[in-house]
Amino acid sequence: MRKSFALALMLLLTLALCPTALADNSMGGVYQSLSDLNGKRIGIQVGTDYELIVWDLLPDAECIFYNSYPDLAAALETDKIDGFPGDEPVLKFMAAEDDRLVVLPEDMNPVKMAYVLPKSAKGDRLREELNAWIRSATASGELDEIAYKWIEGPESEKNVPDYANFPAPNGTLRMLTEGAYTPMNYYRGTELIGFEVDMTARFCEACGYGLIVDAMNFDGIIPAVQAGKADFAAASFVIAPEREEMVNFSDPYLVCGTLMTVLKADASVSDGASFWKSVENSFERTFLRENRWQLFLQGIWNTLLITVLSMIFGTVLGFIVFMLCRNGNRLAIAVTGVVTWLIKGMPMVVLLMILYYLVFGSVAITGLAVSVIGFTLTFSAAVFGLLQMGVGAVDRGQYEAAYALGHSNRHTFFKIILPQALPHILPSYKSEVVSLIQATAIVGYIAVQDLTKMGDIVRSRTYEAFFPLIAITIIYFVLEALLGLLIRRIHVNINPKRRSRERILKGVKTDD
Amino acid sequence: MIKIDHLKKVYPNVTPLKDVCVEIHDGDVISMIGPSGTGKSTLLRCINQMEMPTSGKVWIDDVEITDPNCDINKVRQKMGMVFQSFNLFSHMTVIENIMFSPMTLLGKKKQAAYDDAMRLLRMVGLAEKALNYPDELSGGQKQRIAIARTLAMDPDIILLDEPTSALDPTMVGEVQAVIRDLAKTGKTMMIVTHEMNFARAISNRIFYMDEGGVYEDGPPEQIFDNPLREKTRRFIRRLKVLELDIENRDYDFLSMPGEIEQYCNRNQIPPRMTHRIQLAFEELTQQLLIPVLEKPRIHTVIEYAASEEKATMTVQYGGPEADFTKTGDELPLAVLKSAVSEMTYSRRENADLPNQILLSIRE
Repeated sequence: MRKSFALALMLLLTLALCPTALADNSMGGVYQSLSDLNGKRIGIQVGTDYELIVWDLLPDAECIFYNSYPDLAAALETDKIDGFPGDEPVLKFMAAEDDRLVVLPEDMNPVKMAYVLPKSAKGDRLREELNAWIRSATASGELDEIAYKWIEGPESEKNVPDYANFPAPNGTLRMLTEGAYTPMNYYRGTELIGFEVDMTARFCEACGYGLIVDAMNFDGIIPAVQAGKADFAAASFVIAPEREEMVNFSDPYLVCGTLMTVLKADASVSDGASFWKSVENSFERTFLRENRWQLFLQGIWNTLLITVLSMIFGTVLGFIVFMLCRNGNRLAIAVTGVVTWLIKGMPMVVLLMILYYLVFGSVAITGLAVSVIGFTLTFSAAVFGLLQMGVGAVDRGQYEAAYALGHSNRHTFFKIILPQALPHILPSYKSEVVSLIQATAIVGYIAVQDLTKMGDIVRSRTYEAFFPLIAITIIYFVLEALLGLLIRRIHVNINPKRRSRERILKGVKTDD
Repeated sequence: MIKIDHLKKVYPNVTPLKDVCVEIHDGDVISMIGPSGTGKSTLLRCINQMEMPTSGKVWIDDVEITDPNCDINKVRQKMGMVFQSFNLFSHMTVIENIMFSPMTLLGKKKQAAYDDAMRLLRMVGLAEKALNYPDELSGGQKQRIAIARTLAMDPDIILLDEPTSALDPTMVGEVQAVIRDLAKTGKTMMIVTHEMNFARAISNRIFYMDEGGVYEDGPPEQIFDNPLREKTRRFIRRLKVLELDIENRDYDFLSMPGEIEQYCNRNQIPPRMTHRIQLAFEELTQQLLIPVLEKPRIHTVIEYAASEEKATMTVQYGGPEADFTKTGDELPLAVLKSAVSEMTYSRRENADLPNQILLSIRE
């Protein structure tokens, strides 16, 4: 699955580097009003209930689902969809940032945004406190002030209290948000800010709480709150009856409209002359502005951490399991068979979700640790299979010769069999590592900011469809090449046939 | 001394060894011969426990190595084995193959192991290949290295499991030469082989294996020149045997020539000889014996020695002494004489069928 993902990125890369590929956009189809969109393709973010509104207003429209707003903007610009709905403040920011987008003026549906809390006694207590604070902040005008600052105000004034260093006499609250929804919650540099973060920080300051904010994929937030992974969440959740069955809502903190974004009539496509200029511009926006390269660095660090730790633990675990099964221990073989069957049959993202929400649901464990556990399991299953294959390929006679000379079972395995199996195993091992690093791209679902997630976060600020994707792809290639190089070195070092004569006979006086 | 006591080995489908009791003395060089599937290799592999016997015991000197508490690895260090498929460690050079076990198991210093390995390599004539890998060697060279590797552990007993069977015919000689030298060193050796001349030349004892055990055990002169038992004789002379029994006068006389023809075809007996065998059988039994015998019980054994391309027929029948080679009808006797080169009658008084005629079929 990850392989095809990489392939798709490659395709995008070619697409983006070829200006004419974008030129045949359906420029004629610019929509003046909402009713023009009936029968067209509408993009919907997964986890929202916009499709209900769209079906209501545009009964003939076709809904296509996407994971995030940057994806929706990219889909619109490449003519995959004709428009997409969103919250008023967010769409206005998007249009200001990306001059190819325009927002239709009609309000489709006014919505109320509120905190999401788990259905528990603790959640109910927190909800009372939040509601009390929202009431008083509305009365004092503080909430309007904050909203104005983030939605209409200049960028220079957009600052949040230093919530990381709050004194926390009443304990520390853990909040989840998306971190890719400017201006409600987003990253500036490596700092997670936005209307909802600012508002929550002020609440915590007022009520004597410390605050930790984690960003994760939007459609993972409600399950995470349900599972008790966080005390509450603020990610522009609209109060909706279906959601209320799963979680509780606080009183609303913001009421805003739902608008539709479409492509601008004269959306210009870069021609050949300004192509490099636009690349330069994209580079500046993606990496340099607000020190966003730090986000990428953070992402690379997390991706590498998960990959390398899973690789090490997975190799060790796979080896241990192999050794247990090697001597025909039936219990070990049966257990291994079932576990391997389960792990290999499950999509990785489902396995991670199950680990995060069910297995470790009630345990205080970070998404990073769960990712390492999940990928350790899959990687050890792969290592186990590789060992079985490689060791099975060694001729039976090699065992017999060693046993007949008087070598023990262990000695035979480590000194005779394994050295012959390893050179067979390593090429496949290398491709498993490459698959592993690609597979880690999904950990955004369990609140880990890996390279892919960081790319999404940056895309949510720049609304550039391609450049961050291409940048990420290139970084993945570089990481894969580095790990591949490392393993190739091991390969050379352990291949016994590459040794020199001097090394074989080190310390021996020969006649010649 | 190796003592094998009521050894039995059962596989799910076959039982190659039913009940083997044998003693092997120090310095014995024993060749094990016999048809395939008679447990030669199985017996060898049971001695160093590469196969676990189903039941029975094996002693080496005073140690019972089939005892579960016996440290078989220690025993194997003193009992080398050479395999049909060489089984050199393919990730090691020739010299490492030989040095590895003495260094890791006997704690030999690297220099001492090297010197010893080079001495052995010179002995098998392959000193210049010390730093080659096994896949760069020919089959004969590999097997000589495998023998050197076995000798590096200085074993008291050497088991060789068809050491030349996997070799190109041109390479058999070089390996046999090494084994021949080895046989003179006084080590106890057991060799499974199909090379009769080789077995005869190097061994002081031959095991002919058949019927799930050591069928005949004796010095080479006995086994090869005067085997005491029937199956040994047949094997040594590469005899192909057909037995035909006539129980009474109502036997199926039409099917027997067909059976003879099938047997002759199977063993590639020349057509002229086939014809003569059929002729001799028909004339003797149908024309000479059946009409005159009171109770016609006739046992016929046809033997064909592929090595000499000679066929003989033994016909035994009951009743009082009656030499039909002299007293039979003129005409069938004349036909019979045209098919055979020699014909002798003998009487064995105590046998079930005391009259016997031995015919040598004309070539």
